[in-house]
This record gives sequence, C-alpha cells and structure tokens, in this order.
Amino acid sequence: MHMAKLKRAQQSRANVSCKTITDLIWKYVSNRLGPTLKREFEKHLRICPDCVNFLNTYKKTVSLAPSISASTIPVKVRANARAFLRRKIRRLAALFLFFLSSVTG
Amino acid sequence: MRLKKEIVPAEKEKEKIMSATQIFPASSSPASMPRRMRRDTDQTFASRSLPGRRKPTPSDAHIIERLKMGDEAALETIFNLHSGKLYSVAHRILGEAADTEEVIQDVFWTVYRKAKTFKGESQLSTWLYRLTVNAALGRLRRGKKKREVEYEEYLPKFQEDGHHLVRPVVDWSDTLDEKYARQEVHGILRKALDELKPIDRSVVVLSDMEGLADKEIAAALSLTVSAVKTRLHRARLFLRGKLAVQLGHSAT
Repeated sequence: MHMAKLKRAQQSRANVSCKTITDLIWKYVSNRLGPTLKREFEKHLRICPDCVNFLNTYKKTVSLAPSISASTIPVKVRANARAFLRRKIRRLAALFLFFLSSVTG
Repeated sequence: MRLKKEIVPAEKEKEKIMSATQIFPASSSPASMPRRMRRDTDQTFASRSLPGRRKPTPSDAHIIERLKMGDEAALETIFNLHSGKLYSVAHRILGEAADTEEVIQDVFWTVYRKAKTFKGESQLSTWLYRLTVNAALGRLRRGKKKREVEYEEYLPKFQEDGHHLVRPVVDWSDTLDEKYARQEVHGILRKALDELKPIDRSVVVLSDMEGLADKEIAAALSLTVSAVKTRLHRARLFLRGKLAVQLGHSAT
C-alpha cells in the first residue's frame, strides 16, 4: 500500500507527503525500507524539517522503552513459585496414587 | 569410602540423578512412591545450587521430552532458564499490579501440566511467552476495567495535502532529558504504557522491551505479522504523542 502511494507520488512527480513518511517511519528506523523507498524517504527528510523533528522524537520514544521498569524477579517470588510448584506436583502425584490404588484394588 | 565414591561411573551417577528427579519413576512400586516423591521433589528444587550439579543447557526438544515424561528436573531447568525473563514480561504488561507473582506460578504449572500439548512447531520460548502474555491479559480482563484512552488524540494529524497539521513540529528529543530526571521520564512513559490497550502494550513489551522478532510476537499473541506491525507503530505513535503533550507540545 505504501509502495503504491510512493509510486503514485513518483509518477506525479510530487513530493512524498509527510503523512506517507510518518506511515513508513517504523520501517525506516528498523532499517526495513528497500533502497528506492529509503532514498525517497531521505530525500524528503532533506527538505522537511518537520519530518526530521518527528523522526527524532519517534526514535527517542522507541529508545526509552527498554529501560521501563526492567524488573528482576525477586528472590522471594522465585522461592514462592518453587514452593507452589512443589506443592502442586505432590498433590498431582497423590491423586495419581489414589487413582492407581482404586484401579488395582 | 571416598575412593569408592570417586569410581562411580558418570553414566550411573547420571541415571541416579535422573531417576531421583522423576515424578513417576518407572521402577517405583505404588507403596513406596509417596515417601520417595516427597523427598525427591524437595531435593529437585533444592539441589539446583549445589556445586558440581550444573550441566550444559540441554536443547529445548530434549527438555520438553523429559517434561512430557513428568520429569520434575526438566521443569526446574525451564524455570531457571526462563522465569526471570517471563517475570519481567508479566510485570511490564501488568504494570504495578501485584498479580505478577501469581502469573508466574500459573505459567509454570501450566507448562508442567500441558507439556504434552506442546508440538514443537514453535520455539519453547515462544510458547512460554504466549502462556505468560495470556495469563497476564486474563488477569487484566478479570480485574478492574480501566478507562479506555482514545488513541486519536495523541496520534499525528495531517492536512489534506499531507503536511503535518500543526507546524512546526518540535524536536523535543533532547529537551526531555534536560527537563526531567531519568526516573521521571520512565514514570511518564510507564503511565502512558499503562494507557495502551493490553494487547498493544503486550506488542510493545515483546518488541521494544524484550526485542522479539515480529514473527515470534505474532506467534505468541496469535496475531498476524501484519497486525503486529500495525499495532506496534500505532502504539509507538501514541507513546510519542503522550511524551510530546507532557512537554507542552502538540502530539501532532
């Protein structure tokens, strides 16, 4: 769809619009634009400070995400989970034994 | 005695450990099982830190095969390898909710019970992510409903000719660090993240925070790759808009 938009824009010799640039920005930041689209994208950036600024703030937002409350699992949570699993497994095993003894008489 | 212990063949020792960690050892008679099981389960979850017991990380397929046979040690291995990562994912999706601990317990209990349903078509980690996200989303669904925030208000808008509606667009990428301390910025973003729809938040968490590939996220969330991309882009634009507004600029 974006490719079609760009092709239409190229055919009409019109500039790629800021809206199209915004639609493609995620591809650009993850380096997934093909060479032609990338060239067009960067061509637009050279003449559009608004899109440069938008791109910078978009990149800034994405770059901040990994640092949000990167929480390590507390020791107590690990211990509780282990105790929980142990309990559940024992219960399951007891159930299995009960079933086995009722079948074998 | 010491000499005798040293000459025990490695394979025999391995077998001993394996049989001690099985939930239902094949050779156990019903009468002797409860006592052994109690001892064995305690030993399995307690012995992980003993020196000399550390073995090379086995492949996913091998662990799953062992788990399918009810091998508790396999569950222990999976727990040790993945619990930290999954806790982080669940915590990021749930925000401040204290349900994260319960989600982790539910996930590993499901792993143990449903190991047989894991066909190996996806990676083990993808399956674990899927269980974690589903458990977290389930908790959110059952919990107190949050007011839905309208994305539109924070998404970029354009004039008919395709230019930005509000111009000039301000570059606040450096101002953010100057104006707010790192912790404050994280707080603002955390709040904005909590305002995303849970499924979109999950996409952001798995992509931008955990670094998973689109294909893996799609498999974990039962979405198409295309839907993942669309949701991720929209969510990022929303977060960007929230930061812009926080700094006194137009989201558009």
